[in-house]
Amino acid sequence: MIVGTRKPFSEIKDVVSGDSKILIVGCGTCVAVCLAGGETEVTILASQLRIALGLGGHDVHIDEAVVERQCDREFLVDLSKKKNVTDYDVIVSMACGAGVQLLSDVYDQNLVVPALNTVFIGVAEGPGIWTERCQSCDNCVLAETAGICPITMCAKGLLNGPCSGTRHGKCEVNAEIDCAWVKIYDRLAARGDLECISKVLPPRKNSRQAHPAVLTHEAYKRRFVKDEKIV
Amino acid sequence: MRKSFKEALASGKFLVTAQIVPPKGMDIGTLTPIVKDLNDVVDALGIADNPRAVMSMSPWGICRLVLENGGDAIMHVSCRDRNRIALQSDLLGAASLGIRNVLCISGDHIRFGDHIDAMPVHDLDSVQLLETVRSLTQGRDMAGQKLVGIPEFCVGAVANPEADPLPPQLLKFQKKMQVGIDFVQTHPVFNLDNLVPFVDQAREKGVKLIAGVRLLMAEEVSSYKDGSYPGLFIPEDLLAEIQGIKVEKSVEIAAQLIKAMREKKLCDGIHISAPGHEGKIMNIIKAAGI
Repeated sequence: MIVGTRKPFSEIKDVVSGDSKILIVGCGTCVAVCLAGGETEVTILASQLRIALGLGGHDVHIDEAVVERQCDREFLVDLSKKKNVTDYDVIVSMACGAGVQLLSDVYDQNLVVPALNTVFIGVAEGPGIWTERCQSCDNCVLAETAGICPITMCAKGLLNGPCSGTRHGKCEVNAEIDCAWVKIYDRLAARGDLECISKVLPPRKNSRQAHPAVLTHEAYKRRFVKDEKIV
Repeated sequence: MRKSFKEALASGKFLVTAQIVPPKGMDIGTLTPIVKDLNDVVDALGIADNPRAVMSMSPWGICRLVLENGGDAIMHVSCRDRNRIALQSDLLGAASLGIRNVLCISGDHIRFGDHIDAMPVHDLDSVQLLETVRSLTQGRDMAGQKLVGIPEFCVGAVANPEADPLPPQLLKFQKKMQVGIDFVQTHPVFNLDNLVPFVDQAREKGVKLIAGVRLLMAEEVSSYKDGSYPGLFIPEDLLAEIQGIKVEKSVEIAAQLIKAMREKKLCDGIHISAPGHEGKIMNIIKAAGI
């Protein structure tokens, strides 16, 4: 199972505040179960954004959609049928980090931004096979890095560009693997968005990762938390 | 007293540095005479920090050896083996030992080394480490706490003009210059045209570019080909040329590269590396007519 929490509203609002056509896409599996990115949460975020952006004088059109699993290509076909995705200025994904990255892969002409921070992991490449895309760092930088996570996809987890070992676009550690930073660069260059990675990203906030992690939804705290301890 | 590396950087002279790999163990008997000889002809000796993730003596020890024998040292600082607390702590310790020059690097991946089950740290990347060094020299640690006694460092970064593709490398190089560096040292360069965008951008920002030159040994060709040396990319025709050659010819090839770089003004200095063959560095310098 994959567990996630929604980013602070102000952060989501800041990322989409310059856009006029927004698609919010929820996920009907893991993050719906943990009450972070399912149908209800999509509706709530869409309402919050309509109110907040409307109060700010922005003329904004927000559509909502929920796919059963954002981390599985099979289910994104339905999204393409229901929505003309390339028409949107921005897609706000309410999936885990893996889902955000798969949306970014499939709709690589679109800006995809995460509305959640993921606490833990992966995408299905096909039946019975999953690949790691996210290390649940609770500090998502996918909006800056073209929907490709450098912490997971770069062998050294470098946040500010490739190491010196890139050869023919491949990783120095394994010539079968693409250099994450070449992929990030190429995708942003194709979109004319290199500005996204021109600034120095700060060091990771490791304090956000506590292991073993436990997440109790606010609404269930009375039932499961007593004197700040899980009971 | 000899000039410091910082003074050499400011002087406008053609810079010469060379790399020393600390020993695996305590014996510095072989290294000491090499360090003494090179101190007379180079502007600084760069002391590697567990290169290729092969465990060896901390660069501190050899930096002290260099300083005590009248030279100046550039301590390599890798992000691979220490978190941000250890990095800052070690930088302060180095400064207390009189080490004034640091080269901030990501570090070769652990899979190339002799401790493959070690934890790769990378709590900071090289750009963030450069910011950290800058912060220390301004009297604050990463947490914003005030230092009692402020270290002084001449700060260097690394770039690889032979990496492929180059644009992402250049982007990272720009970030390093944006943070603020005094010099950039490149990985070994063989296609001299690849230096052009780096040296152009470095000069625009007033950063000195020191180009990497590597002694290529015939007996290591298979290792060069199989990717055992991360960041070392040698053109196929040069690999063919060095097959079966004697070390004298290897020295000549390195010297010719230096001459060509100087003649074409593609760098502000050179950094010579000859891992395991440091005794040949002096021969290269002489053959290059420096």
